[in-house]
Amino acid sequence: MGKTRYGIVLFVLLLLPPIRLGMESIMIVHMLIQLPLLILAGWLTGDVVVRKFYDVWDRWNGNGIPGIILVFFITLFWMFPRTLDEALTYNSMEFLKFISLPFVGLLLRGSWEKLHTLGKTFIYLNYLSMFGLFAWLYIDSPIQICNNYLETQQKVLGWGMLFITVLMILSIIHYVFTDHSKENVT
Amino acid sequence: MNSMVRKEERKANKHVASYLVIGGIVIGLMMIFGILMLLQQGGVFDVGPALFYQFLTIHGTGMVGAAALAAAAIMYYFLRQYVDLTPEIFVTNLWLFLVGVVMVIIGVFSFEYASAWTFLYPLPALSAGAWGTLGAILYLGGMLVLGTGFVLFYIDAGRAIIKKYGSLGKGLGWDILSGKRPVDKAPPKAVIASTMVIIVNTTALIAGTVVIIMNMIHVVNPAFTFDPLLAKNLTYAFGHIFANAIIYMGVIAVYEILPRYAKRKWGVSKAFLVAWNMSTFFTLLIYTHHLLMDPSMPKWALIMAQILSYSNGLPVLVITAYGALMLVYKSGIKWDLASGLAFLSMLGWTLGVVPAIVDATIVVNHVMHNTKWVPGHFHMYMGLGAVVMLFAFMYFLAKEDSGIKENWLDKFGLTCYTISFLGISGSFLVSGAISTPRRWATHIPDWMGPAVFGGVSGVLALLASTIFIFHFTRYMALRNKMGSESYEKKLA
Repeated sequence: MGKTRYGIVLFVLLLLPPIRLGMESIMIVHMLIQLPLLILAGWLTGDVVVRKFYDVWDRWNGNGIPGIILVFFITLFWMFPRTLDEALTYNSMEFLKFISLPFVGLLLRGSWEKLHTLGKTFIYLNYLSMFGLFAWLYIDSPIQICNNYLETQQKVLGWGMLFITVLMILSIIHYVFTDHSKENVT
Repeated sequence: MNSMVRKEERKANKHVASYLVIGGIVIGLMMIFGILMLLQQGGVFDVGPALFYQFLTIHGTGMVGAAALAAAAIMYYFLRQYVDLTPEIFVTNLWLFLVGVVMVIIGVFSFEYASAWTFLYPLPALSAGAWGTLGAILYLGGMLVLGTGFVLFYIDAGRAIIKKYGSLGKGLGWDILSGKRPVDKAPPKAVIASTMVIIVNTTALIAGTVVIIMNMIHVVNPAFTFDPLLAKNLTYAFGHIFANAIIYMGVIAVYEILPRYAKRKWGVSKAFLVAWNMSTFFTLLIYTHHLLMDPSMPKWALIMAQILSYSNGLPVLVITAYGALMLVYKSGIKWDLASGLAFLSMLGWTLGVVPAIVDATIVVNHVMHNTKWVPGHFHMYMGLGAVVMLFAFMYFLAKEDSGIKENWLDKFGLTCYTISFLGISGSFLVSGAISTPRRWATHIPDWMGPAVFGGVSGVLALLASTIFIFHFTRYMALRNKMGSESYEKKLA
């Protein structure tokens, strides 16, 4: 229950206007801190929801693949410059953001553990290439791609994404080259 | 052995055979486009530049894709004898390959996409009206689908190696090299080579995904531009590594076939492990030898490209070719098509590396890289090396799985293939030596002779390949009819 409480508190904090507006005023904080925190809020509260609706969950997301596909598309949607921009321009998009991203966290909670190593690695490598791609896109863009953010801000975001890409590369190198003989690799 | 295991073995061999026959047929079809291009350059007929560049695109893409597919079958066949691979993933890769191929073919022939396999930015969007958005998207999208299948295949193979050996480092024998375990506990050669391929090809495919999607964005919205030098680096990090790795998958067949025929053990030594580790690391870096003519590349990267190109292929090649020679020497080996082709591939690999190393030398590269010297290298390396390994494995599998007999036609095929491929690659090298530019649809009369010679040699190579593929399809037909009885007897 503790985790659920933390999740709800985090979600409410993120909704508070000074925090919300403060985070959204800086592009890199908006995308790489606010959005992941919304996912984290959903992930923390997800345990209770998954347990409460276990039958439905198990019927529709038995192997975790439908859930993770939804995660993939929703997060991809929120990585686009345009959607980020529209969240600041239209209340409906902002509302969608605050609903869809905690939902991603919930889906992650109920899907990730169900995936085998193959599925997890495939998703991981997919995000690795996506972060690399968006890093390049944001750093190298010759034009201002968001109305609400300056070109310098999008470059900072690009470097942030590149930093995440490098971390992901180091992490997978660490995983594949350290010993897992005693683990049950599925 | 119980019937369940037998059934699984038969099913796995069926999938492997499907890979090989599809790979073989596509290679044969791509040879036809190669012949047409050479005859066009030789002035025998005129298909026009537009169609020539479509042929160039499909020939390069199709050859590498089909050879990689068939080489993946070799890797799967032998690796699954040591680790627990997932058959469903192997089948999924084949289906994704077919979907990708259909997309590429439609893109090239229905929408006239013709950027060559290199799809070098900004060419996919700058066609001067030769092709449109849809053609480029279909081609690039097809490549993405193809890549997805291979990524799944390599992830599964990596997972299986980690499960059995603990890590990819142990798959490369790091614990042996560090002295923690004796060399007789080293993983089998198939595992070592597969680990290397998993590492380099996963990296290549991720690099390829990024640059392909960036190209797609640029095709849809040409106002969105990006750094062409980074794009070229990523394109070759993808293409060079992926094409290079074909031989590293194919050589598994040589490691497994020759010792069985020579009835000798071909053990793993520390030198063997060092060589494969060097190749793993260097293969990731040497693609920069494709950028030796780009003045904006950092100087250190170009110097590194030259030095590492020398250090990359040679250790594995020397240790494999020398090992093969020692294995065969005075062994009383029984020569047939499988062992003969496996041995021939060592010659092709060794010969094919020489013009590559010459071209990787900066001062030579500035003169030779845009000539037909380069196709001379890779036709020898791939045609007489990698693809011969695939054909060797086809004969090996046919014999193992059905006991089908070879005849004089197959022996004629071996001779014909060897001579014709020496002719093709020789004609390219001669063209390079007389400064014939590569990727040109038309030639001046002085350049036409070697092109015609290459085209005629290509016809003979196609004939020989058809004989090989025909032998394999005979095996498949026999296997379907008999339910692979002889194989079952062997297993029983």
